[in-house]
Amino acid sequence: MSKPTDLVQGTLDLLILKSIALEPMHGWAIAQRIRQVSKEVLQVNQGALYPALHRLEQQGWIEAEWGESENNRRAKYYSLTKSGKKYLQSEQANWERLSAAIGLVLKRA
Amino acid sequence: MRWLRSTSNRLRSLFRKDAVERELDQELRFHLEHQIGENISAGMTPEEARCAALRAFGGVEQFKEECRDERRVNIVETLLQDARYALRMLTKNTGFAFFTVAVLATGIAANTAIFSIADAVLLRPLPYRDANRLVMIWEDATSYGFPRDTPAPGNFADWKSRNQVFEDVAAASFGASLNLTGDGRPEEIVGRKVTTNVFCVLGASPALGRDFRAEDDIPGAPGVAILSHGLWLRRFGSDPGIIGREVWLNNGKYNVVGVMPRGFQFPNREAQLWIPVQFTKENLANHGSHFLEVVARLKPGVPLATANVNLAAIAQKLAEEHPDSNAKVGAFAVPLREEFAGDLRPAILVLLGAVCFVLLIACANVANLLLARATGRRRELAMRLALGASRGRIVAQLLTETMLLALLAGAAGLLLSLEGTQFLSRLIPQGIAPLSGTGVDQRVLLFTFAVSVTTGVLFGIIPALRISQLDLVGSLKQGGGQSSAASGVRRLRDTLVVSEVALAIVLMTGATLMIRSFEKLVHLDPGFRPDHVLVMRTSLPRPKYNDFARRTSFYTQVLSRVGNLPGVVAAGYTTWVPLTNPGGATGITIEGRPQPGPGHSLVPNARIVSSEYMPAVGMKLIEGRMFDGRDGTASPTVALINQTMARSFWPGENPVGKRFKLGAYQATSPWITIAGIVGDVHQAGLDLPARPEMYLPYQQQDFFSPDWLTVRTAGDPMPLAEIIRQEIWAVDKEQPVVGVMPLEDLVDENLAPRKIQASLLGAFAGLALVLATLGIYAVLSFAVTQRTQEIGVRIALGAHRRDVLRMVLSHGLKLFLMGAVLGLGAALALSRTLGHLLYGVNASDPLSFAAVIVLLGGVTLLACYIPARRATRVDPLVALRYE
Repeated sequence: MSKPTDLVQGTLDLLILKSIALEPMHGWAIAQRIRQVSKEVLQVNQGALYPALHRLEQQGWIEAEWGESENNRRAKYYSLTKSGKKYLQSEQANWERLSAAIGLVLKRA
Repeated sequence: MRWLRSTSNRLRSLFRKDAVERELDQELRFHLEHQIGENISAGMTPEEARCAALRAFGGVEQFKEECRDERRVNIVETLLQDARYALRMLTKNTGFAFFTVAVLATGIAANTAIFSIADAVLLRPLPYRDANRLVMIWEDATSYGFPRDTPAPGNFADWKSRNQVFEDVAAASFGASLNLTGDGRPEEIVGRKVTTNVFCVLGASPALGRDFRAEDDIPGAPGVAILSHGLWLRRFGSDPGIIGREVWLNNGKYNVVGVMPRGFQFPNREAQLWIPVQFTKENLANHGSHFLEVVARLKPGVPLATANVNLAAIAQKLAEEHPDSNAKVGAFAVPLREEFAGDLRPAILVLLGAVCFVLLIACANVANLLLARATGRRRELAMRLALGASRGRIVAQLLTETMLLALLAGAAGLLLSLEGTQFLSRLIPQGIAPLSGTGVDQRVLLFTFAVSVTTGVLFGIIPALRISQLDLVGSLKQGGGQSSAASGVRRLRDTLVVSEVALAIVLMTGATLMIRSFEKLVHLDPGFRPDHVLVMRTSLPRPKYNDFARRTSFYTQVLSRVGNLPGVVAAGYTTWVPLTNPGGATGITIEGRPQPGPGHSLVPNARIVSSEYMPAVGMKLIEGRMFDGRDGTASPTVALINQTMARSFWPGENPVGKRFKLGAYQATSPWITIAGIVGDVHQAGLDLPARPEMYLPYQQQDFFSPDWLTVRTAGDPMPLAEIIRQEIWAVDKEQPVVGVMPLEDLVDENLAPRKIQASLLGAFAGLALVLATLGIYAVLSFAVTQRTQEIGVRIALGAHRRDVLRMVLSHGLKLFLMGAVLGLGAALALSRTLGHLLYGVNASDPLSFAAVIVLLGGVTLLACYIPARRATRVDPLVALRYE
C-alpha cells in the first residue's frame, strides 16, 4: 500500500471541517483545497472523501445543499452547522495541543 | 437538534430510497466529471482523462456502498433487503426450499409437541398458592414390600402434632364411592373424606359458600359437604342457591356449605365432593391401617431435606413407641409437583432429549444441503465480495436466508405439532391433566419461535462462515471447480454426516431398548387372562348394607343370576381386580411359629373373593384346590395363597393344609387353613413383581368389601353389560353400577404410557434413520458429481468399474463406521439414563445394539450404492469434457 500519507479518520474529518469553515464547498473542491493548502503533502483518496462527508452530515456537524457550480452544473455543497463550528473549534484546539505536545517530545528526545 | 436531523436523514434514506440513491449518484458523477474536465484542460485525451479520474477516485461502487452505510438505518434496511433477496432465492429454488422446510418442520414439530407435554407436566405452576411449598408425606414400609405406603391415621396425627417443619398437615382418605341420592336420580360419585384443614393447607378457598370449620371435624357433628365446581355444574346446574341444600350420601344427610372454584382438584380430578373425615380418638390412635393421603405445607424457608430429617426422627420415635405397627416404618416427604409428574418425569426428559437429537440431525442435514448449494453459489458470492460487500455483510445475508427457512419451518412445525399434542395429551397423568389443557399457548409459541431461531443459527452459521471465506480470485476464475476451500467444505460435510450417523445410532438404540421392553411386557404372563372379561363396580352403600348377612346375600344372588346368563362362562366378586390397587394388606400370624419381632410381621395382600373369581379372571391353580361350594359361611375358614406368599412365608415347606390367623397370635379370629396355592398375579402393575397375597371367601371374611364384579364371557364381553346390569338391578334396583369396562382396557391403560413412549421414541428414531440416510446419500452423490472428471480419468486409464464402486462405497462406509463408533459410545453412556423405563432388557443389551448397527448399516449401504453405481457409469469421454 502506498498511499502518500495515510490519513487517520479523525484527521480527515478535521481537514474537511476546516476546509468548509469559510464557505460552502462541493466534494471535489474540498479534495482540491486539502491538497493545495497542504502543499500537495496530503493527498486525500478522492473516493474516501465521500463516506466521510456523509458521516459528518449524518452526525450533524455539516449540512448539504444542492446548488449551481462554477461551470453551471448541479453540485452538492457542504457547509458547517452551528454545532459543527463548535466541534471544529474544540477539535482544532485538541489537535494543536496534541501536535504541540508531540513536537515537544520529538525536539527534546 | 443534531439527533433530529440525523433521524430525519436516516428516515429519508429508508423511505425515499430512490431519491437518496439518485443524489448519491449525481454527487459522485459530478466529482468525476469535474476531474475529467480538469484532466482534459491539463492536456489529456478524453479517454486518458477518464481513466485517470477513475484511478484517482478509487472503486466507485465500493465508496457508494460506504456512503450508504453511513446514512442508512443499517439493521432494518439490510434485513429487509436481505429478506427480499432471500425470498427471491427461495422461490427460484422451490424444491430446495420445500425439502429444507419439511425436514426442519418435522424436527421443530416434534420439539414443540414434546415441550408442550413437558410444560404441562413439569413446568407449569400447580393451581395452589405457593405450590412449591406443598409436599405429600408417605410411609416408607419397604421391609413389608411397600416403599411408598399410604399413612395410617395415627401416624398422620403424630406427624401433625410433633413436627417442627410444616405450617400444617392435612389428610384425605382413599377415594370412596358415595351413592348420591335425594336429589334426582341416584348416582355414584367419588368423594373424599378429608380433614377440615385440607383446603387451607393447599391455599385454596371455596368460590361459593364457606370452607370447612374445625367443629365440622368433630365426630357426630352434622354432616357438611363441599362440592367440586364440576359436580355443581353438572348435577346442580350451577345453582347459586346450592349453599344450605341437603344432599343424601350413602343414606346420610349432608348440608352443602361450599363450592370449590373451577379448576381446583385434590388429590386428583376424580374427587367431586369433600366431606369431613371426623376421625375418632380411636382412629387417631390407629397406627396399623394405612389408608390416607397426607399433604403438608412447609414453613417458609424450610428446605425439603430438613423436613425429611424431621420426619425420619419422628418415625424413629414412633417405631419405639409402637413397635408392633411402626417398627421399620419410615416417613418421607415428596414435593407435590414430583408426586404428580410421577414416573413421567424420566420419560419426558428422555423424549425431550430424543427430539433434540432429531432436530440436530435435521439441522446437520440442512447445513449439508446449504454447503452443497453454496458450492454452486460461489461465483455469485465472489462477485458480491468483489463489488465491495464486507464478509460480515455476506454472512448476514446468508443467515437471513437460513433464518427465513427456519421461521417458515417453525410455522409449519407448529401446525404439525397441533396434531401431535392431541395424541400426546394422553400421556399426561390424571392428577394434572385438566389444570393444563395442553395445546398451543404463548409459552409453547415462544418456545417454538426460540427453537426456530436457534435452528436457523445452528444450521446457518457454519455454512455461512465457511462460504464467506472465499478465495476470491480463484472462485471467479474457475467457477466452482476444485480448490482448497472446496476440500475444506467437503471435510465439513463429512463431519456433519458422521455426527448425523452418531446421533441416529443413539436414538435408534434408545428406541430399540424401549420397544423391546414393551414387547417383553406385552408377552409377559401377568397371572391372569384379561381377554373376554368384563369388570364393573357395585359398592354397597352403608348404612343400608351395614349387615354382613345382607351384603353376602346380595353377592350370592347377583353371582347366581349373572353366572346363569347365557354367554357367561364364570362370574366372581373380588375386592380389587388386578391393576387397581397394589396394596390392601393385612397382618397375619402363622400357627406354631413364634410371634415375629417388631419389623418382621407378615403382611400379605388380602383379596376377598367368590369361588368363581379365579376362573373368571383366568388364574391358575398350582397346588391343592380352588374355592368351591364347600366354603360357605358356616364351614371351616380357608384361604388360597399365591406362589410368592408360599415361597416367602413357608420356604422349603408345602403350605397346603397349614394354618394362620389374621392379626396377632392372641387375636380371637379363627385359624384359617390354606386350601391351595394359586399363580402370582401382577396386581400393582404389569412391570411390578407380585407381593405375597392371600384370597379369602367372601362368605367368611368381610374386612374389605368385594366391590368388583368380574364376568368371563364366551364372546365379546361388552354387549353383555346391559343384561348384567339388569340382573344386578333385579336384586337391588337402587344399586349403582359403575366402571363397566373390559379388563383388557385396564391392561391397555397400564401399558399406555410405555406404549406411547416406545412408539414415540420409535418414530423419532425412524425419522433419525431417514434423515441420516438422506445425509449420507446427499454427500456421496454430491461427491460423485464433483469427482466425475477424476473418475472419468481413472476409467480412461483402465480402472475397473469394480474399483470405482469400491472407492465410492468405501467413502460412505468410512463415514458410517466413524459415526457408528462415536454413536455406540454415546449410546452406551446414554442408555443408562433410560433406567427403569426399561423392563427385562439390559441397558447395554448387545442384541439391540447389533440390530441397530445392522439396520443402519444396511440402509447406509443402499444409500451409498446408488451414487456409487452412478459413478461406475461415468463415460470417460463425457467426463473429460465435463466443464
